[in-house]
Amino acid sequence: MSGLKVNICGVEFKNPVITASGTFGYGLEYARFTDISRLGGISVKGISYNEVQGNLMPRIMETTSGMLNAIGLQNVGVHRFLKEKLPLLRKYDTRIIVNFWGKSIEEYVQVAEILDNADIDMLEMNISCPNVKEGGIAFGSDPAMTSKVVDQCRKVIKNKPLLVKLSPNVTDIKPFAKACEDNGADGISAINTLLGMAVNINTKKPYISNVTGGLSGPAIKPVAVRMVHEVSKVVKIPIVGMGGIIKWEDAAEFFLVGASAVQVGTANFVDPEIPIKIIDGLEKYVSEQKLSNISELTGKVDLSK
Amino acid sequence: MKGIILKNERLNDKYRLMEIESPEFVKDAKPGQFVMVKTGLQDYLADPLLRRPFGVVDVRGNTFRLLYMLVGKGTRLMTESLAGSAIEFSSSLGNGFKSVKGKNVALVAGGVGIAPLLWIAKLLKDDGCTVSLYFGGRNQEDIVLADEFRPHIDNLIITTDDGSIGEKALVTAPFGRDVKSFDRVYACGPKRMLQAVSEICVSSDVPVDVSLDERMACGMGACLGCIIYVREGEGTVQKRCCVEGPVFDGSKVVWDSVCRVG
Ligand SMILES: Cc1cc2nc3c(=O)[nH]c(=O)nc-3n(C[C@H](O)[C@H](O)[C@H](O)COP(=O)(O)OP(=O)(O)OC[C@H]3O[C@@H](n4cnc5c(N)ncnc54)[C@H](O)[C@@H]3O)c2cc1C
Ligand SMILES: Cc1cc2nc3c(=O)[nH]c(=O)nc-3n(C[C@H](O)[C@H](O)[C@H](O)COP(=O)(O)O)c2cc1C
Ligand code: FES
Repeated sequence: MSGLKVNICGVEFKNPVITASGTFGYGLEYARFTDISRLGGISVKGISYNEVQGNLMPRIMETTSGMLNAIGLQNVGVHRFLKEKLPLLRKYDTRIIVNFWGKSIEEYVQVAEILDNADIDMLEMNISCPNVKEGGIAFGSDPAMTSKVVDQCRKVIKNKPLLVKLSPNVTDIKPFAKACEDNGADGISAINTLLGMAVNINTKKPYISNVTGGLSGPAIKPVAVRMVHEVSKVVKIPIVGMGGIIKWEDAAEFFLVGASAVQVGTANFVDPEIPIKIIDGLEKYVSEQKLSNISELTGKVDLSK
Repeated sequence: MKGIILKNERLNDKYRLMEIESPEFVKDAKPGQFVMVKTGLQDYLADPLLRRPFGVVDVRGNTFRLLYMLVGKGTRLMTESLAGSAIEFSSSLGNGFKSVKGKNVALVAGGVGIAPLLWIAKLLKDDGCTVSLYFGGRNQEDIVLADEFRPHIDNLIITTDDGSIGEKALVTAPFGRDVKSFDRVYACGPKRMLQAVSEICVSSDVPVDVSLDERMACGMGACLGCIIYVREGEGTVQKRCCVEGPVFDGSKVVWDSVCRVG
């Protein structure tokens, strides 16, 4: 397995396959369905300071090779998470990344400070959820705001590495990645969901009560690969790549364009064993390619004509 | 997990009955539970992407059965699966129905809502209950599996919207007339029917369990896409239809929070 061992922002992962925030609950939900100790890591559902109930139903709809969701960041709040979920999750041999967000910079800082002192491995700041009005995306669609929220959180995050998760719903993702690096982020996660919409032609109503939702799944993979490639051109910090990964070949593509690890999201809904199949597939690929470690793939896309 | 399709039988233009062999699945399955089925043929078919939820009709030996109505691309694809081929699905999911002993019970089904009621009918009968089935559909085509119920029930009341079989009425009409005679009711069908059945039961103080269909992405409690609200104490609380359901106390469901899918 050592061929898959990676070091991301100073944290060692036994393999580079992490389940993506919002698609793996608090991890515990999946314990019945797959061996979660085999995962490199788990990024838990986005946590805020207070408990949040989320958007009205319907919240999900399948689209061609993908799905729209507007869950609205429903979560139990940081205190209940630390008390009720984390101790149980810690029993598994996997890295815990906590995805977090706030409605204001103050809330981001408040949650970050609490998490920095908790028994977790890494923080992942979500500035890219398209489904809540306040917070989230407001900080991910203006580089000046991104700089500000990253800088303020960095000041209170003293013990843990900080990933910042970027939105694809921008004309150019590069200035956002740069803003994160310049303000002390240890790594970039990319991408979150793409803003989308679907309408029922019989009722003439949108399928999602929020009208728009975030598109995920295989449909978005080419966009995600392109964006990780762009981010890798402007930052030196590690990139955790995601968007539409459903098999190991997809994951390998992300490494080639510059990712040091990957996250698997919607695929968990399709089959909770997919992350493990991806780990097995990558391991085989690494040995077939005669690499000593998967990190040798990172950024090796051949752009020569 | 994986199973082998033994039968994928056409009942009529609208319904199919699939029998799947899987010792692993049947081990843990209980009446009223459901299963998420990968409708495509290959491991990684990306479209349709998500698995589809179906009620478990019953378990016999190493096999279980699904009754499915043709709706859209997933169910249409399922019709193409041949006997002998493999199919992928989740383990059995959800809370399921609880049986009771020696009571007078009614089952109320609307259309494909008949699917999860056969197994619990058998169990109730074995537990010494008197079982009446109220089965409503649009027309004759919707009245499937009724013959399989006969050995396990004492009364069968069929209604259709067009009168092509049984009484020309909504199923709630005969059920409403008889409700007072029952100790407990189990229902599955369209939302409006379940709401009406629940209201009838509440007004006669009869406990009612309803099995709800919410759109589901994961079926495992992770995506939070299937939330409904139920009354608890003074207020309402959120429940995941896939984990805390699909069976809920009909008198507690906040019906406006339940989506109309399909
Ligand atoms: C707990 C539960 C048990 C069910 N049991 C049965 C059963 O025993 N037999 C049966 O025929 N049907 C059952 N259904 C409904 C069945 O899941 C849908 O008819 C099926 O998913 C339609 O898929 P499709 O690809 O053909 O339709 P499409 O319209 O193409 O599906 C698009 C998306 O909408 C979802 N969807 C569409 N209709 C429904 C619906 N009524 N309920 C939930 N999701 C829906 C699909 O799962 C899919 O994600 C059940 C649903 C739930 C939630
Ligand atoms: C139902 C659902 C909920 C999600 N919730 C979150 C969240 O809370 N925080 C977050 O940063 N991303 C969230 N995401 C985005 C995913 O983590 C991921 O970035 C995105 O879905 C792309 O990857 P995929 O195509 O593999 O799913 C969610 C995605 C889905 C489908
Ligand atoms: S379907 Fe995902 S939580 Fe219920």
